[in-house]
Formats: sequence, structure tokens, C-alpha cells
Amino acid sequence: MQREGYVPPTAGGGAGSGSTRPGGAYGDVPRQTSMKYLCADCGKSVTLNKADPIRCKECGFRILYKERTKRMVQFEAR
Amino acid sequence: MADHDESLPDAPEYATSNIAGSEPSDDDEPLDLTHENNAKIIMLGTATDDDSCASFQFENEDHTLGNALRWIIMKNPQVEFCGYSIPHPSETKMNMRIQTYGEITAKDALIKGLADLRDLCDVVTDKFIAEKERFVAEKGN
Amino acid sequence: MAPSKEELERRRIVGVELERVSNVTSTDFPGHYPGEDHSWNLDDFKKNSKIDIHKANDLDYEFDLIGVDASVANAFRRILISEVPTLAIETVFVHNNTSIVQDEVLAQRLGLVPLRGDKKGFQQLRWRKKSPDEPAAEATDFNTVVMTLKVACTRNHATPNTETDPSKLYFNSSVYARDIKFAPQGRQSSWFSGAGEIRPVNPDILLAKLRPGQEIDLEIHCVLGIGQDHAKFSPVATASYRLLPSIKIKKPITGEDAEKFVNCFPKGVAEVQKDKKTGENTAVVVNPRKDTVSREVLRHDEFKGKVELGRIRDHFIFSIESTGMYNSDELFLQAVQILKKKCTDFQEKLMES
Repeated sequence: MQREGYVPPTAGGGAGSGSTRPGGAYGDVPRQTSMKYLCADCGKSVTLNKADPIRCKECGFRILYKERTKRMVQFEAR
Repeated sequence: MADHDESLPDAPEYATSNIAGSEPSDDDEPLDLTHENNAKIIMLGTATDDDSCASFQFENEDHTLGNALRWIIMKNPQVEFCGYSIPHPSETKMNMRIQTYGEITAKDALIKGLADLRDLCDVVTDKFIAEKERFVAEKGN
Repeated sequence: MAPSKEELERRRIVGVELERVSNVTSTDFPGHYPGEDHSWNLDDFKKNSKIDIHKANDLDYEFDLIGVDASVANAFRRILISEVPTLAIETVFVHNNTSIVQDEVLAQRLGLVPLRGDKKGFQQLRWRKKSPDEPAAEATDFNTVVMTLKVACTRNHATPNTETDPSKLYFNSSVYARDIKFAPQGRQSSWFSGAGEIRPVNPDILLAKLRPGQEIDLEIHCVLGIGQDHAKFSPVATASYRLLPSIKIKKPITGEDAEKFVNCFPKGVAEVQKDKKTGENTAVVVNPRKDTVSREVLRHDEFKGKVELGRIRDHFIFSIESTGMYNSDELFLQAVQILKKKCTDFQEKLMES
């Protein structure tokens, strides 16, 4: 079972659940200025920049979740 | 790991013709997914000079074949002794000891035992199919 | 020199006494009884063995296998449980899983889901792994079946505010086995088409629960395997046998004792009947098959020496419950065939050497 490093979902592309990412190694992941989070209260997607306050833009809730890695993970059904 | 995600390649065309009996069989024929013969058996170095006594080691076998085979070999009047053991539970090996009265070799006794067990299987299959037909016919009336 | 009828009857019965069992081992071997021939004889076996079907549902079979040794009956039972190959989920590729069920737990749950499909189609499939130790071969349409599970939960805005039932409030609040979809590869679309499509046997198995915003997106690979490797490959829920009980009344049990005697057994095993000669109420055994051999009769002093319990050594009541990939009767025939193949294979190898 391989579990590789966390690959942050990019803010711009990949809003859908597209699983194939261009490029293999994660060294060449472009430096991002914004990150996508999920509001713990309303479930909406929140895009935050570096200096933004940690706060949902819809409902003002202060707990945000990171998104799950978009990398495919393999498991044995045993 | 990303490779696993790709769609599966088709097996080359010859794969069908290469495997014996891959033709679909009749409805009554039991399904057989195991076409190859991967059986492995060796004679252990404990045989007597006249080969009337010998031990065999079956690989990938257990009590399933061991006990049934022991029983049918013991039914051979020319066999003095037959017993089996699984020397270690984490090795998939089964040892069988056969000692005959000397008129046949231990190997002959083993081959006869296997043949007899096969005949038994045929009889059980025939009886089961016949009984199934009888049962279905009776239920239909 | 043939043994007497009583002697033969005695040999057929395994005794069940109050604190012990007696006459346990088979003695039908040459040389065991002087002057008797117990060597293997196919014609005698054909004459003396019998199969009696009692219940024949697709997934649930009960039949009597009479006249074989315990070692053979046990071989069939063991093969049914651990050596008849079936298809089961082996690898799960998780693209996305935001449900509360962890990836590895979900994968393990999926593995245990029994699958079914066109039986003739399964004949086209081959092993991907010959044994657990060997590395898996390259995946092809001959050895791997691909399925997908892609479910996302959303809110149902049509429900009133007072609604509390999650199955009405949300769409896809539960993920069931029926959501697993077959994705045929290569020639599989012709082997498993229409009603023969590969699908879970029971569509109602609950796999996970979701809430709005949660999503499961998996690719699933199924391979052939045997129960010896993992229980998920076992084609049967149970395959078991028991010996037919025998209850012998040695001296007549009458009057109140007869009533008590009948109550020592499950319903339908014994009955009080009027004896035709004496006109007395007498206990009679009607159907020993229903007995559980609880030995309750042996606990009471009034029955001492009047009753003998036992089981018939070569009368196996076989019961096979299939998980659904094959019908139970097909499974039994396959098990016999697998034992036969073992014999043929070893015989071939011995002839070569």
C-alpha cells in the first residue's frame, strides 16, 4: 500500500474530481498563492490567499478543513 | 502506481487457443477454471531397496487430499501400512508413508489409490446428477 | 465368511453414551476382521452408495451422502469451503473518499461483497495470481474484472424543514452494493452481457453512509481466488455435514415414561402410540433425523438400559449454502471435480517420473 505525500488541490484548476494530474513528480508543482479549503459549517469551498483571515466567506465560520489529496491511493481489499 | 489506473490491455489473441479446454463446455459439465497441472510430488529418501516402502511429499496439499488418499490406499489389501502427516503447519506440504507387503511397490500403491479415488469421484458425480434429475422430475409432478 | 446382520449393524453405529462416545474409528480395512474382504471395489461402492436430496433451492441444498467414509465426505466439505475458485474484489483504487469510512476499512468491506455474473463467462477468466506468494501477472481482460463506485451525496431541497430522515433529506445518503458498476474491459462485454453482467449478489449491502458534500469515487479490480487465500473467495456461507442420529429402544417404554421419553427429544423425533398387541401407550421413534443428539434421555434413570443413542457412521447429512456466484448443486459437483483433478494431476506426475 503506497501512500504518498499530500498533494494540495490547486485553487485554479481541478475544481471537479479530475484524478489525473499532469506531471508525475511533485517537485514541479507550481508555487501557489491561494489554497482551497472547506468550511466546517456550511460545506462551501473557500479560497484563501496567504494573508487572508481564516474565515468562511459565506457564513463567517472560523473552522476550515483542508481538502483531501487528489492523488489516487491503492488498497488491498483484505 | 499511476499505471494501475490505465485501462487494461487485452490479452493477446493466442491466449485463448493456448489454454486447453477453454471452449465453453456443456451445461451439465461442472465449471473448471484450473486447467494447468501444477501438482508437485517427490519421493523422500527413505525408501527401501525393493521400493516396497516409501515416503512421498505432496506440495500444496493438506488433510483434504491426505486423509481421503490414506483411506483409499489402506483399502488396498497389498498395503501393510499407510499414513500421512503435515510436518509443519506453516509449510504447505503433506507427507505420506506407504509400506506394502512386497508384491507391489509403494509407488504403484499410490498410483492405484489415486486412480481408485478418481473412480469414486466419478461415481459420486453420476449419482448426484441422477438424483438431481429424479428430484426435479418428482417435484415437477 | 460374512459377518452377521447384527455385527454389521453394530459396526455402522457410532455410540453416543452419557459421558463418552464409543466405536469411533472406521474398521472397514482389509485385515481388520479375519476372513473378511474389505478391499476397494468399485462395483460394491456403486451398489452401496446413495445420494438423497432433501432440499434443493438455488442457494441452499441439503442431501444425504450415504456409503462413503468420513475422510471422503470431509474432503468434499473442505474443498467447498476453501478450494472452489470465485471472483472477489482484490484491489481498490481510491480517487476520492471524503466519507467517514476510512479508505482501508471501505476497501476491506468491499472485498467481502459476493459477486455474480454469467457462469459461462467465468470460464473465460484465468488466474491472476497462482498462489499468494507469487506476484500478480499483468492485468488483462482475461484475469481482471473492473468495476467502479462513484457516489456523491447532495441535499434534497424539496423536503420540508421538519423532515429528519436522512434518506429523504439527502440524495445518496447511503451507499449500497448496487452502486458498484461493472466496467467491462476488452472481450468481457461479450462474456458478461445483459443479465449476465457482473454485479453484487445482494444489491442491498450497505457499504457506507454519506452526508452532503461527501463523495466516494473508486476503481475496483476483481480477480479469481480460492478460500484458502482469503475467506472472501469462499463460494459458500457454510458447507457442513452431520451424521444421521440413531435412537434404538431396547425395552418397551410405556405409560407415563413414554410421555417423558417423547419430551426428551425435539418435536417430531418420537411419538406415543398405542401398542397393537398390548394396547398400552408406548414410545416409538418416528424421525431420528430431527434429533439433535442432546443426550437428554440418558440423564433419567427410568430409561437406563432401555435406549441406545448413536449416529450412523456412513450417513452424512450434507448442507451447502452458497453465497450466490454458483448454485449449491453446481458447487458440490465442482468440489468433486476438483478432488478428481487432484488425483489425475498427481497420477500424471507420478507416471512421468
